[in-house]
Amino acid sequence: MECVVQGIIETKHVEALEILLQGLCGVHRDSLRIHELCLKSVPNLGLVSSEVRLLCDLEQPEPTWTVRHIGGAMRGAGAEQISVLVRTMAESKVSKNALRLFYALGYKLDHELLRVGFAFQFNSGAPMTVTVSSVNKMLKLHATDEAVPVTPGIQLVEVTAPASSENYTEVAAAMKSFCEYLAPLLHLSKPGVSTGVVPTAAAAAASLMSDGGGTTL
Amino acid sequence: MPIKWILHWQPNAGTTVNTQILSEVSQCAESINGVKEGRWKTILSFYRAMVREQGSANEFPRDFVGISLAEQPSKYFLVIRGQRVVVEAESNIQMIMEKLQSYKTRFVLTFEGNQYQLGDFQLRVGKVVPTHSESLRGIVMEMEYQPISSWEKSHQIMGEFFDLWQEALSKRSLQGHFVHLEPNFTEYGLSDQYTLQHTAVQYASITAQMISTAQTVQPNRN
Repeated sequence: MECVVQGIIETKHVEALEILLQGLCGVHRDSLRIHELCLKSVPNLGLVSSEVRLLCDLEQPEPTWTVRHIGGAMRGAGAEQISVLVRTMAESKVSKNALRLFYALGYKLDHELLRVGFAFQFNSGAPMTVTVSSVNKMLKLHATDEAVPVTPGIQLVEVTAPASSENYTEVAAAMKSFCEYLAPLLHLSKPGVSTGVVPTAAAAAASLMSDGGGTTL
Repeated sequence: MPIKWILHWQPNAGTTVNTQILSEVSQCAESINGVKEGRWKTILSFYRAMVREQGSANEFPRDFVGISLAEQPSKYFLVIRGQRVVVEAESNIQMIMEKLQSYKTRFVLTFEGNQYQLGDFQLRVGKVVPTHSESLRGIVMEMEYQPISSWEKSHQIMGEFFDLWQEALSKRSLQGHFVHLEPNFTEYGLSDQYTLQHTAVQYASITAQMISTAQTVQPNRN
């Protein structure tokens, strides 16, 4: 299970966001370059159609692979009231022939993306990860070197935190508090609920860039 | 990483495996000065494809196996024999396979028994039983040689040790013998350097062999 919120920011303000995150998290950023392959089951396989993601971390000297399954979001009145999305998520590291395995099992490539950016992993009431990345599409199959941005000038910001059925309300509260620190630069909401860029971003970015993030917003 | 041969017991025509054979095999390991060193266990699950329309031509295998090895419980291995694919994953992959609802665990076999140390060799002799059952489906033996990790280079010494073992066992006049199958690891993309993936492929192969033998002996059984 995980809690998640997403938002978007103009690429010109990403540097300011990085300064702010550096100040808030107190850790160094990790560079991010992930080739993401989304696979779907062929029509006759499974009682319902299913989807699985293979993530290849290209930032490592030897690329590493992870299988990720994102399940349904939590529903009901309780889920409506919290400002973050709570969903099931399972991950497993796999050997490099994972794509061959899933093709053999009856999965087909639906689409692939290349995420390039950075991430901060830290603890702010709960362990969290913020990723800031530009999402790119491939013009040719698996051609990560020739990827082009899906939305030029805009980057995706995602905050995720592992949670369980026992602690998700606390994790969601911690995440909500953290998001408030970022509010002048971007608005984070449940995935699928797009809120666009925030009008205060330019002023907040200018302020951050001028004092290097030393001032608390 | 030590080399390992995984062998299964092939009963003589018209006979079946029984606990008496297992006990004789264990005694044989002790009689050649094997020092008992605790227990070992491997779990193998059969996953069967869940198909929406029966009978139509499919672009996927009917089944595959998932293997958990006692020496590395945090890992899980998936083997599709038909397509010669072996993948090493974390044990969490079992949860992912369950959530995908495209393949379902049909049955689970446990391989377990005692471990014996004989110098640089380790022998593991055990029974093959379905989970939650004591009905013996087979006998399996792991033969491990610790100093060498090259499959090719260890072949001679493994063969010699196996001959000695067969000779010791032959004195007991049992109705059957251990069989060593040698999967073509290259077809699975595995190199000469032994890994846990080699072990998983061997388990998948001997299980398929045991099932096909059982089906030959009992052709009318479902």
